[in-house]
Amino acid sequence: MSVKNGINGWAGSVLRVNLTTGAITTEDTLPKYKPFIGGMGIGYKIIWDEVPLDSDPLGDAAKAVFSVGPLTASGVPCSGRMTVSFLSCWSKGNSIVDAHMGGHFAHALKYAGYDAIIVEGKSDKPVYLKIEDEKVSIEDASHVWGKGTFDTNATLAKENGPEFDVISIGQAGENLVPMSCMVTSFGNSGGGGVGAVLGSKMLKAVVCRGTGAVKIARPMEVRLLSNYMIKDLVGGNNNHTVPTIPQSWAEYSATSSNRWQGGPGVTWDKASNGPIDMGEQPSGQINVAALRCNKGVFDFGAVAEKYTVKQGGCSSCPVRCYTEYDMDPLADYDLPTHVSNTCMPIIKMLDWYPDHIDAATGEKVKSTHDFVDQGDAKMILGGAGSRAADDYGVWCNYGSLYEDFNMAYTTGVLKDVITKGGTDMTEWDAIPWDLMENGDPRWLVEVYRRIAMKEGTFSDLGLGTYLLYEKWGMDDPAKNAAGVNFYDFVNGKNFNIGHNGYPRHHGPESCWQTGTILSLMYNRDCMIHHLINFVSSGAPFDAIIKPVLEGFFGEGCVDRPKAYTPINENKIKLTKWAFNGKQWHDSATLCNWMYPMTIATSKKRNYVGDLDLDAKYMSAVVGEDYTREDLEFDSERISQLLRVMTAVSFKLNLGSANLRQDHDQPSDWVFDKDPDFKPFEEGTVKLDREDYAKALDMWYEAMGWDKETGIPTRATLEKFDLGDCADKLEALGLI
Amino acid sequence: MSDKKRFLDKDYTRRQFLKLSGKSLAGVAMSGAMLSALGVTADALAEDKVRVWAFPQGLLVVNADRCVGCQRCEINCTLTNDGCCSSYISRVKVTRNLYSSRNGNGLYTENNWTYFPDTCRQCEDPACGNACPMGAIYAGDDGIRRVDTDKCVGCGACAQACPWHMPTVNPVTRKSSKCVMCGACVEGCPSGALSIIPWDKVSSAAQEI
Repeated sequence: MSVKNGINGWAGSVLRVNLTTGAITTEDTLPKYKPFIGGMGIGYKIIWDEVPLDSDPLGDAAKAVFSVGPLTASGVPCSGRMTVSFLSCWSKGNSIVDAHMGGHFAHALKYAGYDAIIVEGKSDKPVYLKIEDEKVSIEDASHVWGKGTFDTNATLAKENGPEFDVISIGQAGENLVPMSCMVTSFGNSGGGGVGAVLGSKMLKAVVCRGTGAVKIARPMEVRLLSNYMIKDLVGGNNNHTVPTIPQSWAEYSATSSNRWQGGPGVTWDKASNGPIDMGEQPSGQINVAALRCNKGVFDFGAVAEKYTVKQGGCSSCPVRCYTEYDMDPLADYDLPTHVSNTCMPIIKMLDWYPDHIDAATGEKVKSTHDFVDQGDAKMILGGAGSRAADDYGVWCNYGSLYEDFNMAYTTGVLKDVITKGGTDMTEWDAIPWDLMENGDPRWLVEVYRRIAMKEGTFSDLGLGTYLLYEKWGMDDPAKNAAGVNFYDFVNGKNFNIGHNGYPRHHGPESCWQTGTILSLMYNRDCMIHHLINFVSSGAPFDAIIKPVLEGFFGEGCVDRPKAYTPINENKIKLTKWAFNGKQWHDSATLCNWMYPMTIATSKKRNYVGDLDLDAKYMSAVVGEDYTREDLEFDSERISQLLRVMTAVSFKLNLGSANLRQDHDQPSDWVFDKDPDFKPFEEGTVKLDREDYAKALDMWYEAMGWDKETGIPTRATLEKFDLGDCADKLEALGLI
Repeated sequence: MSDKKRFLDKDYTRRQFLKLSGKSLAGVAMSGAMLSALGVTADALAEDKVRVWAFPQGLLVVNADRCVGCQRCEINCTLTNDGCCSSYISRVKVTRNLYSSRNGNGLYTENNWTYFPDTCRQCEDPACGNACPMGAIYAGDDGIRRVDTDKCVGCGACAQACPWHMPTVNPVTRKSSKCVMCGACVEGCPSGALSIIPWDKVSSAAQEI
C-alpha cells in the first residue's frame, strides 16, 4: 500500500502470477517502470521485455498485464480505468493491443496496493485470482466455468464478500473466440480479444478488495483542482460542453444533439419513488454535474426516459455515461429487464436485423417493430443485445461484428458460405431466422450464443474482421458471392479504416486527415476522443471551436464539418498532441472519453479549456513538478514503443518491413465515396490520395519515423532512451 | 411557547428531528414545503429510499434514487481528512453497497440499481463512544463526536458496536476514524444524492407542520 511505503501516486508494487507453477511474487514498480508512467505504458514495456513478439497470442509464452497508473484512484475525476495489454489474436500482424475497462475495479486494484498484475503461464484447470491486499491466491473456478459473466460475477461477489469487486470472462473467452471481452460492474467491459487470452490461461475471473489508500502529495490541491474541473470545465460525456436543451443560464444550446441531454423535463421515470427531473445544470455547480449526461436519451431519444432508473458509470467520475434501465417489455420474452451499457454495445443492435425477403410475396420487408411506444425498437433491442453480448463475453470490435454480419447477410455472402454455395442447407435451416424476421429480441441471445459457443459456420463472425474476411474470401472479389473487397466496398456503411481488421474510431467521417491517421496507428480501433469531443461538443464552430483550437495549435488546425482542407503543419501538430495524449490517458490512467479538457463550459473562461490540467493533477498527486511538455515527452516514449512493437510483429509474423505500405493505408472507400464530389468540396468528407500521402510524410517527420517505411529511426528511439528497441529493429534489418 | 414558534429555534428543531430521525419521519405529517425542502415525496420517506439525519449543521438527506455510485463522497472524505484516497477508511461508505451489499443491494445482485452512501448518524447516545474502552470518542461543543487519536488504541470496539459499522480502524495508522461532519462528501456529490439542509431553512419549512 502506498501509504505504507510512502510513495505518492503509484501503489509501488507489481504483482506477478504464474498460472503454470502457481508462483505469486511482487516487484517494485518505480525503478523500472516510472519512465513508462503506468497503465498502458507499463503493460507495453512488460510485453516488450518478456514476450517474444512472434509468440502465439494464446500460447504458453503469452502474458496479459492488467495495469493502472499514478492518477488512478487518486481522487482525480474520471480516473477509474484500467488497461490490459497483450498480443492480438485477431488483427493483422498479431501485435500489441490493449483492452480498456471502466467500472470500479481499477480503484479496487490500486487500493489493494498494485500498479499492475502480470498474468503468465497457463492453468490446467479453471481458476480465478483472489486479491485481498497482500493476500493473493489462485482459487478453483470450476463451479463458474461455463457460466455467463453476470452469473459468474454475482456468484464470486457473494462468495467473497460485499467489498470484493469482480471481473470475469464469458463463454466466448473460455472457447477462445477472438471477439471476446471481460466484464465488470454492469456492462463495463474491456475488449480487444482479452477474453480469449484469459480463457487460454483458464483464468475465469479476478476478484479484488483493497483496504489500503493511495498517498497523495498535496491532497487539498487535488480536491480544489477537481472542484474547478467539475465546475468550470466538465459538461456531458465526451465532455460535450453545451447543453442540447436550452437552459436559462446558458449562452448557447448545442448546434446539434449531443451528449449533454439532461435538462428541465428530462426525467428518470423509473426511479423507485417516482420520476426525477434532471433540471438545469449550470456551469459552476458541482452538485448537478452528474445530471448533465443522459446517454439513454442521446442514444434512443425521449423514449429512453420511460425505462431509466438512474445513471451509472465508473469510480471517481462525475459524468455518468451508463444509463441504468429497467426495460420491462423484455420480460415478455423471458429476458432480463435490467440492462446498462453505452455506445457501440447498445446502439447498433438493429444491424442484426437487416431487412429480409418475405417468403410469400418475395418482397423486401423490415425485420423490426416497435414494442410499446413509437420508436422504441432500437432501445429495447439494444438493451437485450447488450446484455446478451456482455453475458457471453462477446466483443463487438467497435461495431464491426454487426457490420460484418449485416454486410455478409445483405450481399448474400453469409448464405453462400453457410450453405456451401447452396449445396448444404443443414446449418442454414437450423438457424431460427424467424426470430430475426419478427424483430424478436431473443434473436440477439441466439446470435451471441452461437458465436460464443463456436456453433457452426455462423460463428466464424467471432473470428473478427481480419480472419473472417480471409476465411470467407471477403477480402477478394474473386472469392465471394458479392464480388467485392469488403475492406474497400463503398456502401455508406463500411467501418473498416484499412485492411488490418479494425474500424475507424472517429476517423475521416468527422476528423479529417487527423482522425484517419490516428485510426491507423494501433493494432485495434484507436479509441482516441481528443478530436471528436470538441467536434461534437455542441459549441458553435466559428464562435468557440475554431478560436479555442487555433489558440492552442495555430491557424487551420481544425476543419468545419464536411468542409475539409488540405493537410497543413498545424493539423499535424494537433495529430501528435492527440496521439501522445491518448497514450498518456491510458497510462495515467484517465478516461480519454472525457479528457483532455479542451473546451470549457464556463463563459467567464471564454469557453477555453485547460490543457495543462493533467500536469497540474500529476504534480499535486505525485509531488514532483510536471509540465504538459513533460507528460507529452513520457507519453511519446510509449507511442514510439507501440510503433516499434508493431514493426517487429509485422516483420516476424508477416515478413513485412514497411508499415507505411502494410499498416497505415486507408481503405479505398475513404477516397472513393461520394463520387459526385471532389475532395475538399463542401458537403463531403472524402479524402484525397495525394494529400493523404503528403500527410503521412509530414506525420512521419513529426514523429521521427522513416518516410519510406514509417519505422522509427535510431536517433528518435535513443532520444527516448529506447536504444534496445533500435537494436532490435537493426537486428531485424528494419532500420 | 407555541410549537410553531419553538420550531424557529434551531436547537429545538434539531432535537425534534433527532427524535424522528430516519424512517420514523415518514410517520409525521410533513408539509409540502418540508417535503420540497427535502426534495422528496412522502412515499419516498415511507419506503426508506430517502433517509434524513439531524446533524448540528442541518438535516443530512441521503437520496438513494439520486446516488449514481461514483464514490466521490469517499474520495473527498479521505482527501480531506486523511491526506490520501481510499474507500475502506472513508467515513461515508458507498462502496460496500455498490457491489453486493449485506442487504441484497448492489450491481451484482438482483437489486442492481439500488446503492447509496451510508453516513454516520451522529447519535445522541452513541454506541461507538459507549463501547470505547479508552473513552476516546468525545462530543465537542458543536455536538459532533470525534476520535481522540492520542487515546485510541485501534481495538475496533467502536466499529463493532456501531449498528451500522461506520467507524473504521485505519489499517496503517491503527487509529479509528469517524465522521466529523466536515461536509466534503456533500460538497462534492455530483448528483445531489447527499445534501445538507441548514436548520434555518428546516425551521422555515417546518412552520407549516
